Amino acid sequence: MHDQQSKPVGKQAVTRRSFFERAVDGLQGAALVSLLSKDLYGAASVNDRTQEGIYDLKPRAPHFPATAKSVIQLFMNGAPSHVDLFDPKPMLDKHHGEPYFDKIANDVSFPKAAGGLMRSPFKFQQHGKSGIWVSELMPHFAKQVDNVAMIRSMYTIHPEHEPALFMVHSGRIMPGRPAIGSWVIYGLGTENQSLPAYVVLDDPLGLPINGVQSWQSGFLPPVFQGTRLRTNGSPILNLKPEAETPSEVVRLTRDLLGRLDQIHKRNHPGEGQLDARIASYELAARMQMQASDALDISKETDATCQMYGIGDDATDSYGKRCLMARRLVERGVRYIQIYINGQIWDHHTNLESGMRSCCLRTDKPVAGLLEDLNQRGLLKDTLVIWGGEFGRLPISQLGGASDGRDHNPRGFCVWMAGAGVKPGISYGNTDELGYKAVENPVSVTDWQATVLRLLGLDYQKLTFDDNGLKEKLTSVYEAKIVEGILA
Amino acid sequence: MSEHTRAILGRVPALMACAALLLLAQTSPPQASPSNAPATGVKPVSFETDVQPVLMAKCTVCHGADTRVKEMNLSTLDGVMKGSESGPVVIPGKPDESKLYQMVRDGKMPPGKTHLSDQVLAAIRSWIESLAAPSAKVQAALHEEVTEHDVIPIMYLRCTVCHGLRRQEAGLDLRSRVSMLKGGKSGPVIVPGHPEQSLILKRIQSGEMPPKKELMDVSIKVITSTETEKLASWIAAGAPVSNIQPDVADGRPDPLISDKDREWWSFQPPKPPPVPQVRHTSRIRNPIDAFVLAKLEEKGLTLSPEADKLTLMRRAYFDLTGLPPEPAEVQTFLADQDPRAYEKMIERLLGSPRYGERWGRYWLDVAGYADSEGGKLTDDVPRTYAWRYRDYVIRSFNADKPYDRFLLEQIAGDELADYEHATTVTQELVDNVIATGFLRMAPDSTIEHNISFADDRLEVIADEMDVLGSGVMGLTIRCARCHSHKYDPIPQRDYYRLKAVFQGALDEHDWLNPHPSVYDDLKEYRAPMLRYLPYVPQGKTPVEILDERRAAEELNHNLDLSIRTLKKGLEEKAAPIKKKIIAERLKQLPQSLQDDLQKVQDTAPENRTEVQKYLATKFERLLKVEPEELQTFDAAYRKEADETERKIKSIEYKKAPDPRIRALWDRGEPSFTYVQRRGDPNSFGRLVGPGVPSCLTDGKTPFVVTPPWPGANKTGRRLALAKWLIQPEHPLTSRVMVNRIWKHHFGAGIVKTVGNFGKAGAPPTQPELLDWLATEFVKQGWSIKSMHRLMMTSSTYRQSSALTPAVEKADPRNKLLSRMPMKRMEAEVLYDTLLLISNKLDESRFGQPEPVVIRDDGLVTPVGTDRGWHRGIYVEQRRTKLPTVMESFDLPAMSPNCMERSISMIAPQALHMMNDAMIARLAESLAERVRKEAGQDPEKQIERAYWIALSRPPSEEERKISLDTVRRLREVQGTKAQSAAGSSFAAKPATEASNPGVHDPAGTALAEFCHTLMNSAAFIYID
Repeated sequence: MHDQQSKPVGKQAVTRRSFFERAVDGLQGAALVSLLSKDLYGAASVNDRTQEGIYDLKPRAPHFPATAKSVIQLFMNGAPSHVDLFDPKPMLDKHHGEPYFDKIANDVSFPKAAGGLMRSPFKFQQHGKSGIWVSELMPHFAKQVDNVAMIRSMYTIHPEHEPALFMVHSGRIMPGRPAIGSWVIYGLGTENQSLPAYVVLDDPLGLPINGVQSWQSGFLPPVFQGTRLRTNGSPILNLKPEAETPSEVVRLTRDLLGRLDQIHKRNHPGEGQLDARIASYELAARMQMQASDALDISKETDATCQMYGIGDDATDSYGKRCLMARRLVERGVRYIQIYINGQIWDHHTNLESGMRSCCLRTDKPVAGLLEDLNQRGLLKDTLVIWGGEFGRLPISQLGGASDGRDHNPRGFCVWMAGAGVKPGISYGNTDELGYKAVENPVSVTDWQATVLRLLGLDYQKLTFDDNGLKEKLTSVYEAKIVEGILA
Repeated sequence: MSEHTRAILGRVPALMACAALLLLAQTSPPQASPSNAPATGVKPVSFETDVQPVLMAKCTVCHGADTRVKEMNLSTLDGVMKGSESGPVVIPGKPDESKLYQMVRDGKMPPGKTHLSDQVLAAIRSWIESLAAPSAKVQAALHEEVTEHDVIPIMYLRCTVCHGLRRQEAGLDLRSRVSMLKGGKSGPVIVPGHPEQSLILKRIQSGEMPPKKELMDVSIKVITSTETEKLASWIAAGAPVSNIQPDVADGRPDPLISDKDREWWSFQPPKPPPVPQVRHTSRIRNPIDAFVLAKLEEKGLTLSPEADKLTLMRRAYFDLTGLPPEPAEVQTFLADQDPRAYEKMIERLLGSPRYGERWGRYWLDVAGYADSEGGKLTDDVPRTYAWRYRDYVIRSFNADKPYDRFLLEQIAGDELADYEHATTVTQELVDNVIATGFLRMAPDSTIEHNISFADDRLEVIADEMDVLGSGVMGLTIRCARCHSHKYDPIPQRDYYRLKAVFQGALDEHDWLNPHPSVYDDLKEYRAPMLRYLPYVPQGKTPVEILDERRAAEELNHNLDLSIRTLKKGLEEKAAPIKKKIIAERLKQLPQSLQDDLQKVQDTAPENRTEVQKYLATKFERLLKVEPEELQTFDAAYRKEADETERKIKSIEYKKAPDPRIRALWDRGEPSFTYVQRRGDPNSFGRLVGPGVPSCLTDGKTPFVVTPPWPGANKTGRRLALAKWLIQPEHPLTSRVMVNRIWKHHFGAGIVKTVGNFGKAGAPPTQPELLDWLATEFVKQGWSIKSMHRLMMTSSTYRQSSALTPAVEKADPRNKLLSRMPMKRMEAEVLYDTLLLISNKLDESRFGQPEPVVIRDDGLVTPVGTDRGWHRGIYVEQRRTKLPTVMESFDLPAMSPNCMERSISMIAPQALHMMNDAMIARLAESLAERVRKEAGQDPEKQIERAYWIALSRPPSEEERKISLDTVRRLREVQGTKAQSAAGSSFAAKPATEASNPGVHDPAGTALAEFCHTLMNSAAFIYID
């Protein structure tokens, strides 16, 4: 009920405040405060918030030892077809064309276009030492399977994209709740105070479905919202002024601002928020330099770029974002999401050609990322997650030049790699048609609790008071940690 | 951690907590099934001898015949077998799945330190195991009679959309036993006692009904086998008529709520406490000061000294209008020697039309105002007519509409007067209907069939109830949706009684849609089911109205033409770029294919040969260029596209709005309301009728509902609710509102959790003061402006915000109000103030929201008008597209509403204020104003800029460093300009000649200075 880990806060408040009064007396004060306050806060625990009601991103100790320091989430908007990628179903070949709609009518979004059972047009093969099944669509990823835990028994609770996306990103099927990345940085803060803690690398071709709502902080304060870093041009909104200002002018005005704010602060002793505000201006200045540098992949070798497929038309854009994600992880960014435009995996029709093109865009970059993280020793504390919002039905959806598959919330695949995840295993199973998760089913809630667990966070203790309700990422749903995939 | 948790924890002495832990450890209950359980069969366990005595001793204090927490009565076998509000607690033969056993086994019950002994646990376990072969008595207790109220909700979920109130396909209505017996074209659909002959079952069992392929069109799901079985067993039992009456307060004592529950402070009507005697009588201007001083003096403190006139003026201006005083107003005020000069200023501000824009905004946060539907749709569809409600709120605040009337209109405006049959349209009638927009503000994406199932609609209803609960009643009623409230005495039943109040207007089985369908084949079906009423302007003749409409249509037509021209212009610019992109793509194909595809491209679709058509389909992606691709490819085009979008939005903004009101009204024929077990829309409990939370009443007095006027096609349920809420002695209504007003003046509420006056909320820091204010509010006719007057003329409000060491030590968190808090400008205040001081505020009021444009990097800016920009409250509030400048400063996306805005301190705020182009332009504009008003002398300019932006002169130190910087900036800019002048490419654009001063070295330096001032702490913080 109440947070067991809460500490008395009053004492710290007084110490910190009186400390500032002594420490801050000159122009360099602000920077000093910023550095020192970091140390003061450094040891704070997850739910120990400032007494001012002002929230920050100072690093906080997790609930228990973490195996993951950072997360890279490769989000596959549109719901990739599990039975065509990682979950082969010989029974679909056997019963191809037979009617099945009546048994699953409630799950079909387009009942008027429902066809019979449909076999996968792709060939499957087992790979690596682990023997994990991958279809012919992902030859590069197939070489990496020994690094991943493949969950083949995921399920969710809504058959439409938008609600299911809200579910997978924020724990319930409605908007207005914090994204998982927001919860993570609310809990842990971040190592690098000069870069956003929760970064979203979206596709220059357009936002995914649900747009910016996928990384909003909901009822958590805005400081925990995901920050879009643009991969072309200036990475952060208003990072630089539209027109170039001469450096001497910048220096003079910054200096004036600093002095005016010091006068104001002197006239308002004891107001901690003024220090925090000055620190936020300092951070803004540092961010101007670090953000551009973090996304500058020109310093990478040709070999590295090739690994990600950078330079090849099909893979260039996604590959660049994967490589940028690695650079951000190296710099201590806590949570990174990579998105693709729209919902490219939503193959209601033309499944065969559509899936080929999706895999062409992403397979090599994703495999490259895993390989690169691994060879640099980063995979051991970086959690990589691949998946979408639900799966697809075993029956066909008619229309288009060739058939596709309608939405299926009852079974799909997600894989995770690195940072405390058991490598090279296949976990859980759907039924013989791939319709429903039957063996070791994993709910979206379970999966979310498990991600938090890998980061050292207890999903039941990571709470926020929203007008009388102790809100959690997993909301009112019960969760069980997927112990079977933990190393 | 939350404030209230801290408060609760703070009250638990640490020692006691340790002791409790030790006790827990000692009596830790057995975790799994006891392996040493007595072998069954030795002596049969009996309920009466082995279980009942334990339950009577340990459980029935809370779960007994008279007090039934969680609606559970464990004193009888029947009660035990019936279970709780969430369903059965005993599963015969399966103790480990039985909630009753789980709770006692895990030591969760009974609460506190007394756990049941192993022996007792074993007895309960054996008894539940023994039920695998139940006795006749147990069987009787387990037997639940199936009644029509088990069947009707199933009909609602699966059938009545086509066979019900609004539509009777095949002449069939399945809403009652009688209508089922009457049947439709094919005769009666049930044959009592004969399920096998009942048509309804035949149709269901054959899979014909509900028709699977049509389900999505009407937002219905397939009937489940459990539901079909229930229907069958009801018919088999002879389709008995039951005598179940809806559960309402009926004059008998309420078994779920005790008088002790009602003792909570905020459930007691406020009574005016005596005004305390204090020592520092000289500081008392009104009773508020006496209450505050009494607490301060207990700690050896008194009020801080009075703030100076300039500080007070700026504070009062921002508090009441959200904008700073003009320098001329400051001078007049300083010169006014009248001892009542301050009071006179407060009166002036209360009379300003800016007042409603400031305080109306607070109410819009409570209501969760938004110009978009939000919810589960990506595109966050615009909510076209919400702004009429926004204007109603602003006007109501300006008119100082009494709060009781204000609530009455918003909760039950449609039931106040007969607007449908009125002979003349009065402003009051129009306002009544617009006011109901209050209950239409929740996120609502029930636009399309696939997200408008009963579950989705129930989410909307829950949100509307939450807005009312948190915003008006200060209770977290929403917590009781799935189970009885964990802290407050609000049983789940009371949540559903309250839901029944709304059922006449918000009926998940008879839903009015927010928009027409986008699907052509559903448009006609949807048309009569929209939630709009016509907007008829007051006091106009039908001819005038018609003329107005015609003029509007003509205007809109012309504006549409301009938009079309703009779009065409952009398309023409896009064509060559598209060609270039495709040409580059084609280069990678074999030459022959390139030529063919080029031809396809050059041929209009209708003139293409079969082969060309095939190629067009085959290479569809290659030949198609998305707008985003165009913009990425060509930066100049991107600018052009952005500019065109801005122009189009500006033109659309000028269009005359449709004469419609987005309203809520009772439709007179609500479906039945059932408790939803565990909040599950498919699991129905008891039938309930309308009512209000029992803890706020005596629990007995019936909730009287009468039609609002004779012959009204309305239930009058919400009118009854509203009238109950606005009773002068209502324990919460006045308290919650004065607390909110207090919060906005003094930084924190007397109850810090403004939306939660329950047990998990923060206790009032000054309970007597709160009650005095609440009763005074009612006494002064619920006048909100009177409350401002009272609070703002107190010495407490007029204190300085300076913090001295003694004060900080004795009252570190300002709970006692030993000083005024320093406040950061809120999002709209900052935005509006930037516009005002730089002469860019367009103060035309009301109407459709000023649209926003979204740049490709996500920057959202209001499009502006010919004169500048409107106040923030008039800018479009799309939930997903909030203007960046305001969103950065904590303007929340409403979901469903906002009880308290957070204050964050983040780098993007600094980046925005330093680098955003609009802010830079406003700084230039401020500089221009300063130059006009102060001339060319830098010292005078600095002085003037301070007066405009900060309502005060600079201090000597500020003056000196500012002047120094401006001089050096002039030098730097001068050198730059000279070096630029030396270059042959330095010719400045012609526009600058007509605008002297802006770009000369002195002008640029002044603009930089103004920009710095806008970024300064002294600007954004209010003392």
